[in-house]
Amino acid sequence: MGKYLLRRLLHGAVSIVVVVGIVMVMIYSLLDRDQVFAADPMYSKVGGNQKTVYCYGRWEEYGYLDFVPYADYLAELAKNGEIDGETQGAAAAIGRTADKDSELVAGYVQKFTEHYESQGYTVIRLNAKLNGRKLANGGQQQLFAYKDHSLLKRMWRYFSGLLTFDNIHAVANVEGERGLTFTWYDPVYGGEKLSPAIIGNGTRHKYLLYLDDKFPFIHQNFVTLSLGTSYSVTRGIDVFDTMSRSQGSYVLSTVTFPTGLTEQSADDLHTAVYQPGSRVGNIVNEARFTDDYTNVQIIKGRPSKVGYSFTIGIIAVGLAYLLGVPLGIMMARKKDKLFDKLGTVYIVFIIAVPSLAYIFLFKAVGGRLGLPTTFDMESSSKLMFLLPIISLALPSVANLMKWLRRYMIDQMNADYVKFARSGGLSEGEIFSKHVLKNAAIPIVHGIPAGVLSALTGAIITERVYVVPGAGNLLTEAINKYDNGVIVGVTLFYAVLSVVSIILGDILMATVDPRISFSTKDR
Amino acid sequence: MDFDLSSYGLTDEELFAPVDHSGLESEKITAPRYSYWQSVFRVFFKNKLNIVILVVLAILVAFAYLYPMLTEYDRFGNLMNAEAKHLSPSAAMGQLGYNIHWVLGTGGSGQSTFDAIWNGAQISISLALCCAAINMTVGVLVGAVWGFSKRVDAVMMEVYNIIGNVPYILFISVMVMLFTASFWTMVLALTITGWLGIAYFIRTQVVIIRDREYNLASKCLGTSTVKIAMKNILPFMTSVIVTMLATEIPSYISYEVFLSYIGMGLSEMSLGRLIFEAESAMVTPGWGFEFWSPVAVASVITVVLYVVGQNLGDASDPRTHM
Repeated sequence: MGKYLLRRLLHGAVSIVVVVGIVMVMIYSLLDRDQVFAADPMYSKVGGNQKTVYCYGRWEEYGYLDFVPYADYLAELAKNGEIDGETQGAAAAIGRTADKDSELVAGYVQKFTEHYESQGYTVIRLNAKLNGRKLANGGQQQLFAYKDHSLLKRMWRYFSGLLTFDNIHAVANVEGERGLTFTWYDPVYGGEKLSPAIIGNGTRHKYLLYLDDKFPFIHQNFVTLSLGTSYSVTRGIDVFDTMSRSQGSYVLSTVTFPTGLTEQSADDLHTAVYQPGSRVGNIVNEARFTDDYTNVQIIKGRPSKVGYSFTIGIIAVGLAYLLGVPLGIMMARKKDKLFDKLGTVYIVFIIAVPSLAYIFLFKAVGGRLGLPTTFDMESSSKLMFLLPIISLALPSVANLMKWLRRYMIDQMNADYVKFARSGGLSEGEIFSKHVLKNAAIPIVHGIPAGVLSALTGAIITERVYVVPGAGNLLTEAINKYDNGVIVGVTLFYAVLSVVSIILGDILMATVDPRISFSTKDR
Repeated sequence: MDFDLSSYGLTDEELFAPVDHSGLESEKITAPRYSYWQSVFRVFFKNKLNIVILVVLAILVAFAYLYPMLTEYDRFGNLMNAEAKHLSPSAAMGQLGYNIHWVLGTGGSGQSTFDAIWNGAQISISLALCCAAINMTVGVLVGAVWGFSKRVDAVMMEVYNIIGNVPYILFISVMVMLFTASFWTMVLALTITGWLGIAYFIRTQVVIIRDREYNLASKCLGTSTVKIAMKNILPFMTSVIVTMLATEIPSYISYEVFLSYIGMGLSEMSLGRLIFEAESAMVTPGWGFEFWSPVAVASVITVVLYVVGQNLGDASDPRTHM
């Protein structure tokens, strides 16, 4: 079994990598990259050569290409000590056209061009755009090099950046001695309450291990997962954080900062991340912190996107099994009777009618009954969960009924059932002890998929009821051309789907001892 | 075989005696005539419900295809008439005269909801039929090969695992952005990976039937693989394929509605797009008609197609022909 599972996991991992590759080809090569500026207010403001440079700068941020302005190249040379500051300044002053360069500038431009063209970059020089004798708007002369990322390099960079391991040499120029310290008394709680924590200096996160009152109670920052940075959906924040961070209004509590200052604040000191030079000239940070670990997250009162989706999804899945399994059994037992026919009408309704239509129908009916039809994050009412849960559960009930009925009826014609009946077992015994057990095996296979897909959220349901969940993340990212989010969410979906199929197989093999995946047992 | 009849020394009359023709006798030895498709339709039409549903389907199709052809639909014809917007049927009749156009009231730009629905239905049904035709043809052919060849199976399983994990919406949005959101782009987007699921289903069916004893026997007697596929397996699959078609056609209409709703659908006014654009009308009192009519028509079309297909699928199973 172990060997078999390992092979399945490896197969799954390979297909996940290929999926990410395909998605990257689709969004980076097939789509028109000018689309990223569709909703960009800056794009229409800048003009002339500056617009070109702005475009390349944005494309670099979105992960399309590597972009090196000439000035950055000179700065790099200066940093390596190859040229001094004076030469750097002089060399940076390129002429309006190439033949107007001074001798020194021409030499460095030549070096720049040769250096980058030998690495496969394209060097572009834009001559100044003149309006009469003056420069036109944004018409300054520009010199830069760019190179599109290749697929392999892009995939390598993505997958190698997925996990970041924090260590004591993670940040430069840290004050004090680098190292990890273990304490039984977490300073965030005033240093008196027994609460073990590992605190780092020189690491990116200040608290590497700590306890608090939120699930899962023990938190670590040694390993950080980054699925890809968002540019337009939630600017600069990782997809994983976008999905898992709490939402809503701030929750204030009495916080004692490292300087001893006590304030009403929503800052979560456990999430402190190093930010160099953040206390210089910043009065607030200076009053609060004793070191540069000042970048903290804010505690918000409501669950995360995934939290909402999962709450709704998991209750819906539970409800679906609770209703669907007994109803399916009833349909099979009362085959061709009224109950079976009513059930079939319901199943046909759910399968044939567009899902959008019946969700709207549920919404309209629910609204008539006085249930809240839109989600309000700040409201404490639990009633608003009701309609989304029902809208999600009822179709799954139909699906479960359909398949359970089918499997049970198939089993009822099997020889062992006839044998049991001739042996004198009652119909009730045959159904509960023989038929149901065999018919449930394929149903059991779908349970992990049902539970895990609750994490991804439902697109239509969440949109119709305005649930702040994760279901709409992919469509939102596609509409906003947020490549980082698209890749990250795809990876998340693919991992969930691969894992749920494997878990389903394991569960099926546990329920049914006849099923074995290792060749030895056969 | 050369018999020398003259060696028996008998006359022709003694050698050959006429057999008398008996009507009763000839009746006995003739096998009952059986034509597969005739039996399918006999079983199908025996159920009176099917006739009713077929009539409903015929009316729907006639409205979707003939009505737009016979009448002129100008979406912006009443655009300048501020009085004609969002009217209920009775108000529209009073305002704009008694005409079939206004039986469902008017929409946001004063257009006739009734006309809009049938134009939309035409687009949606055509889309569903095109996609189903392409996907079913490719899916069944590939699925048959996939089920038969073990080598193809190994490759295709990996392809299936990979393509199945790429979000479908992403394929569609890439297609829509590469080309324009026209009818044929949508067909391409829905078929580019859509056949894979059908092929996988067919593959599983083929694998189940492939190793049955009668096929093994056929193989031992030297029947070629092609003949086994055509004569032994395809007839077995007919009811499965018809049943599948029954779920496929409505599913494309539903899918088109879904895509329009999330803003990635057709640029033409299909049923899905009508629902999407009239969403705000759902909660506004008095505007309900312009939202619920396309929803109702889409639901009726899909339910009717589904039921007809399911029953045809049942009828095409030879075991029901007794």
